[in-house]
Amino acid sequence: MTAYILRRLLLAVPTVLGVALLTFLLFNAFGPDPVRTALGQHATPEAIANLRQQWGLDRSLPTQFVGFLGQIVSFDYGKSFVTGDDLGTQLRAGALVSLSVVAPPFLAGGAISIGLALFIARHREGLVDRGARVLFIAGMSVSALVYVLVMQYVLAFKLGWFPISGYESGTAALRYLALPWLVLLVVQLGPDIRLYRTLFLDEAAADYTRTARAKGASDGRVMWRHILPNAWIPIITTNVTTIPFLILGSFLMERFFSIPGIGSLTIDALSRGDLPILKAVTILSALALVVFNLISDLLYAWADPRVRLG
Amino acid sequence: MQRRRRLILTAPLGALVAGAAVSPARAAEPKVLSIARTEQFDSLDPTRQFDIGSSTLVEMLYSKLLAYAYLERPYKLVPDLLLAMPELSADKLTYACTLRTGVRFRDDPCFKGGQGRELNTDDVLYMLRRYADARINNKSWFAMEGAVVGLDAYRDATRKAAPDADLEQIEIAGFRKVDAHRFTIKLTRDNPLFLFALAISPTAVVPAEAVRMYKDQFSVHPVGTGPFELNAVERKGTLRFTRYTRYHGVYPSVGAPGDAEKGLLKDAGKKLPLADVVEMPLIEEAQPAALKFLRGELDWRGLDRANFSKMIVAQGDGDFKLAAEYASKFSIYWAPSQNVSYTGINMKDPLLGKNKALRQALARLFDTRGRIKVLLNGRGHALKSIVPLGLPGNENETGAIGIEYDVPAAKRLVAAAGFPDGRGLPVLTVSYGGSDADTRNAFDFLKARAAAAGVQLKVEYMDNPTFIKSIEGSNFQIASYGWVADYADAENFYQLLYSKNTAPGPNFPAFANAAYDRAYEASRHMSNGPQRYAHFKTMNDIVRDEVPVILEINSLVFGITQRWVKNFKRNFLQPEYMFLDVDMAAKRKGLS
Repeated sequence: MTAYILRRLLLAVPTVLGVALLTFLLFNAFGPDPVRTALGQHATPEAIANLRQQWGLDRSLPTQFVGFLGQIVSFDYGKSFVTGDDLGTQLRAGALVSLSVVAPPFLAGGAISIGLALFIARHREGLVDRGARVLFIAGMSVSALVYVLVMQYVLAFKLGWFPISGYESGTAALRYLALPWLVLLVVQLGPDIRLYRTLFLDEAAADYTRTARAKGASDGRVMWRHILPNAWIPIITTNVTTIPFLILGSFLMERFFSIPGIGSLTIDALSRGDLPILKAVTILSALALVVFNLISDLLYAWADPRVRLG
Repeated sequence: MQRRRRLILTAPLGALVAGAAVSPARAAEPKVLSIARTEQFDSLDPTRQFDIGSSTLVEMLYSKLLAYAYLERPYKLVPDLLLAMPELSADKLTYACTLRTGVRFRDDPCFKGGQGRELNTDDVLYMLRRYADARINNKSWFAMEGAVVGLDAYRDATRKAAPDADLEQIEIAGFRKVDAHRFTIKLTRDNPLFLFALAISPTAVVPAEAVRMYKDQFSVHPVGTGPFELNAVERKGTLRFTRYTRYHGVYPSVGAPGDAEKGLLKDAGKKLPLADVVEMPLIEEAQPAALKFLRGELDWRGLDRANFSKMIVAQGDGDFKLAAEYASKFSIYWAPSQNVSYTGINMKDPLLGKNKALRQALARLFDTRGRIKVLLNGRGHALKSIVPLGLPGNENETGAIGIEYDVPAAKRLVAAAGFPDGRGLPVLTVSYGGSDADTRNAFDFLKARAAAAGVQLKVEYMDNPTFIKSIEGSNFQIASYGWVADYADAENFYQLLYSKNTAPGPNFPAFANAAYDRAYEASRHMSNGPQRYAHFKTMNDIVRDEVPVILEINSLVFGITQRWVKNFKRNFLQPEYMFLDVDMAAKRKGLS
């Protein structure tokens, strides 16, 4: 196991290097000039030269790239071009807030989706299944933005059940996070339940399930002891590899509910040409993807004794 | 001021607060204003910032030598930290300035004993040094470039210096300290526009002690003499400004005609700020801001297009009213912005540059009034001169004559240009620095009208940096862009077609006309009045005839305030917050 983990981590090095090179070329060599963006429409040549020097963009591209690699190794991404703030502090604070937005509905949604999918799968082609299919397909056809707008208008403004927007740290955050959680939960349920229902029905049609039924196992035992454990691998794959994107995916919630997370930080950096933030987020996302893919593989071995790592 | 940059305009942000030493009445119920910030700020260090998100906040926390009058229009400079307007010497090269006495920085641990000290002449010199320091200020240097004796040389020295080198031993020849409250500034040439530089937010005065103590963190640790204090800075959260009880300013006693009738002068002479607290949450999306306003959680907000259509009814003749369901709850305002949009024609283009009749034809195919009515819900003014309506020397004062949409005349001119019914005329390319729905609609609107005169247009949508590079390199045929006032003077707009400002300067069409240049140079350093306006008229007439640009829109800015907000008058050059009062009884009632 340890050898496997080490080998996977070593294999991640060229992957991260490749991402670093692509990121660097995309932003430093081919992207819009951040100096021009910062100085506005009529930057003087003098001001451009000054800022380029201050931001280290007057150095040769290879020198800049080596500096970027140093940042990746040291996890010190320097300071924001635009605000001058330390990026490590910004990212840490933003990431925690973003996680508080997305993690609870992700976990709760996962549990609810699995439970409901099992229930629906047990009533395959019955009224419950058909009704749920219509409901969830209709729900999935609606953009997440529409859910945000409608739920904010109805639940927060019209009914006054939640604050319209805002954020406070500590436990006071709960009242501001409740509506974003509800929105995320609603958005997430449809696609998850549809996927899990399909997985469970595939397993329900497998030979081992038929054998279990032939041996007189009850519906509940078949579902919990046979179908669910065998459906774990695709569920793990779907969920674990989604985790790195959760933080970035909270952009919509953060923007509409005025929550100071990392999702809006990235989008803001895009519009303001803040290269250090963009490069840091890109590389950290790549690293997270590598790590969570590895975790996903390790979980396979845990979930399915037939899987051997080596 | 050889190069001009965009001046920061105030955005609908907001927030204030109560100081420690409030009166018993105030202590019982602080007056709280709630106004959303619509964008993030870069820095609260005055010298380092020059963006809309930062500038308004900086002006709430710091003071400048000069400011803009809150009520008077056209916009007018008034003393702020100075006791009176600077006195100009007989040779028009030296300004003598006297600081107010008793202006103190807010209390802060950076000062001896934690007590804010009195602001003095050395602070002004310190501000000037930081402003000219190339290691600190790259965004607003244009406003004093080449203006003060010795200041450019100092900037050169800072450019060559190590990042943390102290250059205080280098004298600035044009700055002379007379005593603790008096100083003179010597200009390189007669230049009345210099005073505008003393009213921009980057020239706000900061204490050296705070800069030295907080270093990089000075950008989020303001220590000023402005009307408000800010004790905790959250970039993305709610900023809570509290009233600075020792602030030196008082409510103005002079306004524009009609202001007294509107009750805008009833607080004349009162100590500022009038509100105790200004709370400013960051709300970047329109829907939550609109909902919070409708629920009474926000006191003021600008209106975007969607909400404008829903809430405002155009009365014709440039008059607007709130829809009936909102009229009893809110107050509406609108005002011409400080920006103009226009279309430049590249005078180096082999076809358009040499064919005046074709340019004149194009100008008559711009149905600007129709576009304002159809695409902008009436939220704009069709320009007759390049100067926004809010500035002195605008079209009303110079009697400018615009070019009207006129297809028959355009057809005649297209024929005169050598292309009867458009035959043989190549397809012309219009470039835009964006591709959002409004931009696409604007082009489609123009394309249909041009086709009526046999002029075929195609479009190039670019991202903004590419667009800027393109127009600065004169690599365009027709391009749509605009200009925002750097300072409140018409010169800032007429310089856009001065031949010495040809691209990469702001004269993107590369227009070169000796008569225009003469009129511009003659008017540049004049005071406003009939003589100067005569030069403006000359330039207007030349632009109308030569058509290097097609003037389009001076946008109107709309917004609504709650009824309990008093003294509101939109001012694009001076944040309104310290002048606003809140009827807390009405606010409470409105929320119940």
